[in-house]
Amino acid sequence: MIEIDQLQHVYPGSRHIAPRTALHGLSLKVDEGELVILSGPNGSGKSTLFRILAGLMRPSSGTVRVGGFDLFKEPAKARALMGVVFQSPALDKHLTVLENIRLQGALYGLSGALLDSRMEEALAWSDVKTRLADKVMTLSGGLARQVELAKCLLARPRLLLLDEPTTGLDPLSRRLFLDTLARLHAERNMTVLMTSHIFSEAENAGRVAILRNGHLLAYDTPGHLRAILGSEVIVIRSAAPDALASLLEAEMGIAKLKRYGDELRIEDVAPSKSLALLERLLERHRSDIVSIAIKQPELEDVFLHVTGHHPDGNEEVAA
Amino acid sequence: MNARVAIALAWREWIRFIRQPQRVVGSIGQPLLFWLFLGSGFSPSFKPPGMGEIGYLEYFYPGALLMMLLFAGIFSCITVIEDRDQGFLQSVLAAPVARFSIVAGKVGGAALIALAQCLILLLAAPLVGLVPSAGGALLLLLGLVLASVGFTALGFGIAWGMNSTAGFHAVMMVFLMPLWMLSGALFPTQGAPQWLSFLIGVNPVSHALTLIRAPFYADVPHLLADPQYLAALGIAAVWAALCLAFSLWRVGRVEKGVKPSGI
Repeated sequence: MIEIDQLQHVYPGSRHIAPRTALHGLSLKVDEGELVILSGPNGSGKSTLFRILAGLMRPSSGTVRVGGFDLFKEPAKARALMGVVFQSPALDKHLTVLENIRLQGALYGLSGALLDSRMEEALAWSDVKTRLADKVMTLSGGLARQVELAKCLLARPRLLLLDEPTTGLDPLSRRLFLDTLARLHAERNMTVLMTSHIFSEAENAGRVAILRNGHLLAYDTPGHLRAILGSEVIVIRSAAPDALASLLEAEMGIAKLKRYGDELRIEDVAPSKSLALLERLLERHRSDIVSIAIKQPELEDVFLHVTGHHPDGNEEVAA
Repeated sequence: MNARVAIALAWREWIRFIRQPQRVVGSIGQPLLFWLFLGSGFSPSFKPPGMGEIGYLEYFYPGALLMMLLFAGIFSCITVIEDRDQGFLQSVLAAPVARFSIVAGKVGGAALIALAQCLILLLAAPLVGLVPSAGGALLLLLGLVLASVGFTALGFGIAWGMNSTAGFHAVMMVFLMPLWMLSGALFPTQGAPQWLSFLIGVNPVSHALTLIRAPFYADVPHLLADPQYLAALGIAAVWAALCLAFSLWRVGRVEKGVKPSGI
């Protein structure tokens, strides 16, 4: 459905600012009907990639094909297949829900009975059916997001692009939105590409792509990605991580030690050994340890491993 | 270009306008107050050479209409800045829509709003003794539309690509307002210093003003036989077309990555 080939994007600099390369020859393929999450730390290039896919920007070089159409040579044909949900709201808040949706219909050339039936279909799943005559500015964040999604479904897109669509939603609204998205994806066999850095969202994805500094670092199913980290991870929080890290390395011979902020991680520990290791650590260094845990690797841990970036913003500290 | 898209976008402009009463009050009130206060205040001392017994309220009236068109255009263009990167226009740009439809929708919507406002001010025209003939009213409408399209398209082209409304205000004050001030809207060309009358002469907006002023004073056959009027019509039409082309060019330019150099 999407074929990205050797995509390179360099932002023009100015007299005082050097040009900045946001994407380094990125290639990525998304199959028909797949749900792919695009993840990466801030500045990884995912927003640049999204803006290029949505047609708001042209890359320096490389090609993108959507449904077989070249996005830059036949933009109208490619765009007709796509629905885009932007991170910042693209609704006119002075207009009612119904007016917003009708306006979107006009953009895609829908009118009359066809528009009515499509509207019914696009809104069927939503909670805004009783609020159609209300102005968008009176809706809650969660409901406004639903309108945003409904608006995109109007043209029956085969590909749905979403840019961090759950930003600013409370946990319940976020859950509802994602469940709806998963259901629509399954029912309509839509291809979905969504950027996100919330890892619980990525667990449902078919594949997860992890970007950093404009490079694709990993692109695989959540299961395979977790396997990168091997079996289990021991996470230690400490008030004096530096001292503890050198102690652990010197005294206990632990080599695979990684540090992110005040957190130390021992990755790829065999399940049979993890409990014993934890007990030994506690016996010897109890006073230096604030908390310690054994974890099954989650996508968040994979992200940390692959990008060296803690989602809370802590860079990996070189030992 | 898809006309339905342009109509839908113009309709949105209109709905937004009537749902923001402050905007209605502001954009009608300001030119109206200008006209009443400046007009009444200057009237006793206003004795332009060779213009007979014309009062300033009457002289300034077409200029007030032009000011309304200018303000309506500016108000409409301010939304472009917020809409493009953080709002409604994102989804328009991502849709399979011709770029001209976007320009036509915005400019058409602003023209619609401006004309509705002018209609209100036109109700006051008989008070200062200005009553155009039926044919004259049509020519007046033509002049209003041309000026409105010119102003809005120019503002749109400037606003597109700007990232702050404050910056747009600044540009408006030093660029769009002088176009209006130097159009003969506030004072007649006769008797002005030479450099000023030169600026007024080359300002396309002065010619648009001629199109608005003339129908109050002459009937249609006279106007259509007057080379000065026809020249003004031609210049104003070309100006509006150029402004449209300018904003179309701006919208068509997609932000593009540069070629990597020396890496």
